Amino acid sequence: MKRFTTPIVVVLVLGVLLIWLSSLTLDSIEQRTLNVGYIVERTREHLGLTIATSALVAVLAIPTGIALTRTRSRLVRATVLGIANIGQATPAVGVIILLAILWQTGYSTALVALVIYSFLPVLSNTMTGLQQVDEGVRESAKGMGMTPNQVLLRIELPIAAPVILAGLRTSIVFSVGAATIATFINAGGLGDMIVNGLTLQRFPVLITGAVLVACIALSLDWIAGVAEDLLRPRGI
Amino acid sequence: MHKPEDTAILQIARNTSGAQIVLDQVTKTYPHQPTSAVENFSMTAEPGELIMFVGPSGCGKTTTMKMINRIIEPTSGSIRIDGRDVLSLDPNELRRHIGYVIQQIGLFPHMTIAENIAVVPKLLGWTKSRINARVDELLETVKLDPTKFSHRYPKQLSGGQQQRVGVARALAADPPVMLMDEPFGATDPITRESLQAEFLRLQESLGKTIIFVTHDFDEAVRLGDRIAVLSERSQIEQFDTPANILAAPANDYVSSFIGHGAAIKRLVLIPVTEAKLGPIGDAEAGPITVSIADSLRDALDALVLSGAPALMVVNAAKKPIGSITVERISAVLGADIPDVQGAGLVSASGAGR
Amino acid sequence: MNQLDFDGLLTFWQQRSGDILDMAFQHIAVVAVALMIAVVIGVGVGMLVWDRPVPRSAVIASAGVALTIPSLALLAILVPAFGLGWVPTLIALVLYSLLPIVRNTVVGLRAVPPAVMESAKGMGMNPLGVLVGVQLPMAWPIILTGVRVAAQLTIGTAAIAAYVAGPGLGQYIFKGLASLGSKNALNLALTGTIGIVILALIVDAIFVFIARYTTSRGLRA
Repeated sequence: MKRFTTPIVVVLVLGVLLIWLSSLTLDSIEQRTLNVGYIVERTREHLGLTIATSALVAVLAIPTGIALTRTRSRLVRATVLGIANIGQATPAVGVIILLAILWQTGYSTALVALVIYSFLPVLSNTMTGLQQVDEGVRESAKGMGMTPNQVLLRIELPIAAPVILAGLRTSIVFSVGAATIATFINAGGLGDMIVNGLTLQRFPVLITGAVLVACIALSLDWIAGVAEDLLRPRGI
Repeated sequence: MHKPEDTAILQIARNTSGAQIVLDQVTKTYPHQPTSAVENFSMTAEPGELIMFVGPSGCGKTTTMKMINRIIEPTSGSIRIDGRDVLSLDPNELRRHIGYVIQQIGLFPHMTIAENIAVVPKLLGWTKSRINARVDELLETVKLDPTKFSHRYPKQLSGGQQQRVGVARALAADPPVMLMDEPFGATDPITRESLQAEFLRLQESLGKTIIFVTHDFDEAVRLGDRIAVLSERSQIEQFDTPANILAAPANDYVSSFIGHGAAIKRLVLIPVTEAKLGPIGDAEAGPITVSIADSLRDALDALVLSGAPALMVVNAAKKPIGSITVERISAVLGADIPDVQGAGLVSASGAGR
Repeated sequence: MNQLDFDGLLTFWQQRSGDILDMAFQHIAVVAVALMIAVVIGVGVGMLVWDRPVPRSAVIASAGVALTIPSLALLAILVPAFGLGWVPTLIALVLYSLLPIVRNTVVGLRAVPPAVMESAKGMGMNPLGVLVGVQLPMAWPIILTGVRVAAQLTIGTAAIAAYVAGPGLGQYIFKGLASLGSKNALNLALTGTIGIVILALIVDAIFVFIARYTTSRGLRA
């Protein structure tokens, strides 16, 4: 029952939003955005940016984390972690806008900025997950004649999987939020509705955009949570 | 390229009931450290022998053991198993044929008990049915019901049960050599004793060559065929049978390591039958008797417990065959001393009178 | 494409140093006020629910929901009701701070060993006395860690609040966006972003200091 609280709440909120919207008489500006085609297109953009970011982060941050735990050089490890930590203290909006000024506006910039911004949780969780594998487990794997790759793939990664997945989940929530800001550099998404609603003083548009983004964030977090439970190796 | 290595490993592997291990002038030096961790260590373990490395923590006993399966690479010297130079073999291939049990057990938490035991057979490419049969056989061997335990996960087992799985896992591919690093160290005293007893029974039927590291001298006496008492840099202070070490410690270091009560410790090793039993009439009939299968230590225990001057010794059929007294126990110890110079020992056995 | 002109940036900082410091001060101020409100609410709620399983998980779950909602969305939802500026900013920052503070309060209060609780009770302290006199001081280092996490979170979020006319260095970032293409765009955005990173680092250092001097000496590692 507890597991289904989030989807129930999301459906209820969306229902209330729909009922409220249908009770309003919309002016021409509102009609231009509050229609199914426009909303679906913005949602598609938003999800596309979020999913592309998460996929790129997974592909880049997990191997980086693995490589960093393998390196013997403390300097390399400290440098990468230091940069990643400062990156985390950097506000998402700053990263996105700076990149737009230095490079260009649009989708590619938003994607790069989002990847930079969501990188750390996966990186640090990959490292933590691998480091917390019990030394006895690692030694007996080696002592039984597993090659270093076999130890990594059959023992360390499966044991670290829950921690890595938790990092990925955090990173997904980060990127849903940061994708909202992508509107500032013309990369689309539901942020468009929020910003338009605010500048044009059309609160129904603003509220619809904000509620949809919130619902997407909650749903993706929930899906990631369920996936985490299903993918966690039994026995851990 | 791999061919000669493979055959060498196969030759080691084929000899499943014990191989000879020779360590020759083995030294391990870590960079930036003034002294070696292990210095010029030489020893031969005969096939089927259970050799105990005993010494205080930090003396290098674990380092020495871990060089045999190259978890730690020696700086110099040679290690041979059945004449094959270990250092010239592929370390991963080698380790698949050397059983390895450590104190932390290191069961893989994400695998079931059956999967844990199947790791090495899988690495060796055994067929599924052969693996399944082997897993069941091994679980039976370590007294865990396969139907009950195969599909459980390590965290669902008690410490003692986990340690049995650890031993079963190390035996999976029937290796000729086993390395054990304080395998029973983390269990409570009662569990430890039953694990030790089972382990001895197991070794009797398997006859592996085993290097067993412990800091517990009593454990060494109880289990070992021969004991190597080690001091700093893994120097061998004495390498002999438990009885000989207890009877004649080579030097003060060994004596201090044995601690007090050397005579009592020796009694564990001697069966009641070694004593010259007195006439049945010496002992009054009572509830406490000594079995012929007991050790002299058990007999002494029973004497102290009952307070009687003499106790009945009974055979397997509970039929009295003689009596035992403290004097008769002491007499065995006196006769067993090969070298009477051990002054501490004389006073220790004197205390028994 | 806009290249970084380092001399230009330094001149920019010189000319506007007063304004930059003013914005930095406002940034810190809004974060500090939000954190204080959040500590009062968060620790208070934590003390109420730490021992009651159902309200406890309900409170932590709802605080978790607040943190999941993207900041621009949360700020936007607040605008129709509360207008622009400080008020929506403060509310949003408080909501974001609640999860780390409440969660750590609950964890901290629950982490007090039962033996300690029992001996406090045995000495005749009433439940409130035990809570305030024993549990809270022992839980303080953990609670403070929660506040520290919340501080990092809100310093970054406050940057976005500039879009709803919230105070602070975020205004420089948005001014940079607004003057996209002009000479000063990079200087403005860089000033805002670097300023916020520096603030975050300073605040984190301050928390290390506070933790040292407000934790009972017997609890320090």
